[in-house]
Amino acid sequence: MGGHPDFLITVPTRGDGRDPGRGDRGDWRPGARRPPPSLVTDPRPGAFGPFDHLAQIGRAAEIAALGGALVPFDPAGEESLVVAAGLLRQSRHLRVVAGFHPGVATPVYAAKFSASLQRFTGDRLGWQLDVDLEPAVARSQGDHLRGADRHARADEFLTVARGVWHEEGYTYEGRFYQVLAGGFQPPNSGLPFPRVHLTGTSPEALALSARHADVHLFTPDQDVQAGIEALAALAEGEGRRVGYGLRIPVLARDDDDEAWDEARRLWVLTGGEEAGLPDPDPRTRLWPGFARIGGDGSGWSGLVGSYETVAAGIRGYLGQGVTTFILEARPAIEETYRLGERLLPLFAKEIEHAH
Amino acid sequence: MPIDIYWRIGTHGDQQSLRRRVTSRGEWAPVVPGSLTPGVRDGRRDGYSYVDHMADVARASEISGFVGGLLPSFPFTDDPWATAAALARETTTYRFMIAYQPGFLHPVQAARMSASLQRATGGRVVYNIISGGGGPAQLWWGDKVDHDDRYARTSEFLDVLKGVWNGGPFDYQGRFYQVEGAGLPEPLARQPFPEIYFSGSSKAAIEAAGRHADYYLSWLEPFPELAAKFAQVREHSTAIGRSPKFAVRIDVLARETEEAAWDEIRRGWEHVDPTALRGPDGDSVGWLRSQSFVSWPVREPRELEVSPNVWGGFHLLRGGPAFGLVGSYQQVAQRLDELIGIGVDAFILAGVPHLEEAYRVGEEVLPLLRGHDIRHNSPLSTSKGSI
Repeated sequence: MGGHPDFLITVPTRGDGRDPGRGDRGDWRPGARRPPPSLVTDPRPGAFGPFDHLAQIGRAAEIAALGGALVPFDPAGEESLVVAAGLLRQSRHLRVVAGFHPGVATPVYAAKFSASLQRFTGDRLGWQLDVDLEPAVARSQGDHLRGADRHARADEFLTVARGVWHEEGYTYEGRFYQVLAGGFQPPNSGLPFPRVHLTGTSPEALALSARHADVHLFTPDQDVQAGIEALAALAEGEGRRVGYGLRIPVLARDDDDEAWDEARRLWVLTGGEEAGLPDPDPRTRLWPGFARIGGDGSGWSGLVGSYETVAAGIRGYLGQGVTTFILEARPAIEETYRLGERLLPLFAKEIEHAH
Repeated sequence: MPIDIYWRIGTHGDQQSLRRRVTSRGEWAPVVPGSLTPGVRDGRRDGYSYVDHMADVARASEISGFVGGLLPSFPFTDDPWATAAALARETTTYRFMIAYQPGFLHPVQAARMSASLQRATGGRVVYNIISGGGGPAQLWWGDKVDHDDRYARTSEFLDVLKGVWNGGPFDYQGRFYQVEGAGLPEPLARQPFPEIYFSGSSKAAIEAAGRHADYYLSWLEPFPELAAKFAQVREHSTAIGRSPKFAVRIDVLARETEEAAWDEIRRGWEHVDPTALRGPDGDSVGWLRSQSFVSWPVREPRELEVSPNVWGGFHLLRGGPAFGLVGSYQQVAQRLDELIGIGVDAFILAGVPHLEEAYRVGEEVLPLLRGHDIRHNSPLSTSKGSI
């Protein structure tokens, strides 16, 4: 079987640069940006800021006809809801998925904020709820829940958020949240709820997704096939259907050689020994080198090769039932244009059917 | 010190005038021909949303001389954080005054959103911290903390927000918040900290304002009552070595002549049923105070004029607080000058419709302010009229 793919890009929220680690775009590393010599007129200082760069990334994704953009939750990056609001406001078609964890706000407040964004932008907001934070990261965000309690809270969070969204006079009394006579009124009622993206392969994570996810996102280093089978069974038990997605780094060029030359260049540039350049997994074709060259990216294995090679890898996942592909490629602007012009057309028939 | 004059961006739609209480801007009423943002074109919604109108109001008030705009927050409004984030790059100098209740966002998240917004706007975020009008609305929000405890929570919230602002690691063990190894990441750290406008008329609010406010913000009240309230805040603040400034939120209906202004009020009044007045809601001390300044029932609009040009009936013509100024451009400017005379350092002005009135007040009233000339005379004694 082959589904209809939906492609999103991953927005880097810790600056970006032509090469990994450069960080001279988006005002991330002070002083990293090289000004022209003084003989050149430079009227820019004071006129641009980090969000001009983020806006450029959003426009690139919009213009390159990507379906959307993920702004991940990153405690070391720009705040994702603020970034998402800007990208949505400055685009017409782009769907923007904002990552956050349930401790950032009450579910009523998260829903209220999101209702405004839905109204402002023609219902293009999505959520990625990050439930499994590293314990130290969670504590730094003021969140001290551990273990399965986190999934129990996320369950309540999504239940309450949906409750006030869809039901006037909504009342809820739970372990974590209470609402009395809540619920949105027009014009904040009657809107589509943000598409919910969830992650994780633990039994609690899959059970949560079965109850709440619109899209469950896997990573290439997980057993996607097993995850899909387990989740499909759980979702059926809930009487729901969950879509499947994959966050995957890609490096695509005109031919395989050129792609591997670039992989090698980036590998060496980021301090790798040329001789130590890892090979892709012979079975999955996934290359683990993104952990080094991906800068502040996810570090997951990804696809390297010609556009056709990368497309073939994606088709493999399509065959397993994955339809949402959140691509990760840097530098974001140049690579987004490239993917829009060269990779997406290889799926033109399927994309056409998807919309 | 210059006076900061803000405008208000309505976050729940707007009326075309005070004459008819009909919302035609935004989707708070059915979208029909004559509605704007969204409007109707060829029988269908035109694709605009209310944020497009809010962007117009922001630009109009920026262009006509206001330093920024207040974005109010209530259960039925749009969200101020979402609005500010959406509009961040559409103005140049305009400050976004975000109204929020500390209980709904975690302070670390509020810090992260604020720092990113400061980076998006070049440092144009201002806070209007509300600790809650209470009553049914607090439970609507899912907030069960009671009135006085909400001020204690606000104090902890600001401790944590300020604690992480300049980086970390920051640890905190409070009743409401606990964080460990917290701190904004390096490029987000040390942005200018937003100025804090602090609202609340209760004893708990005034005490908390003493500790946290850069500006203590009040609705307009009759001037002597306002002066007394400021004196109370000043007393609390002095005792702990702080000296907040004072701000007033004022609706303005100003016209070329006094007669034209009152005519406008009368035209709106024709649609008011003064017997069907809403009673006080929740535990807002400010609202109870505002209702104590007038004696109901009222038959004629000018019975609500408690002192020259100070009118307590705006809530009957549009949603929001009761008191505002009605008069000629000259009179309204004089009353604002008098308020500067009793110690007001900042104003949040508003008028319906917000777009057109921003131009009017910016062009006709603000240029008449003399402020500094009367600032050093003794408070109240310079006032013309019977206050």
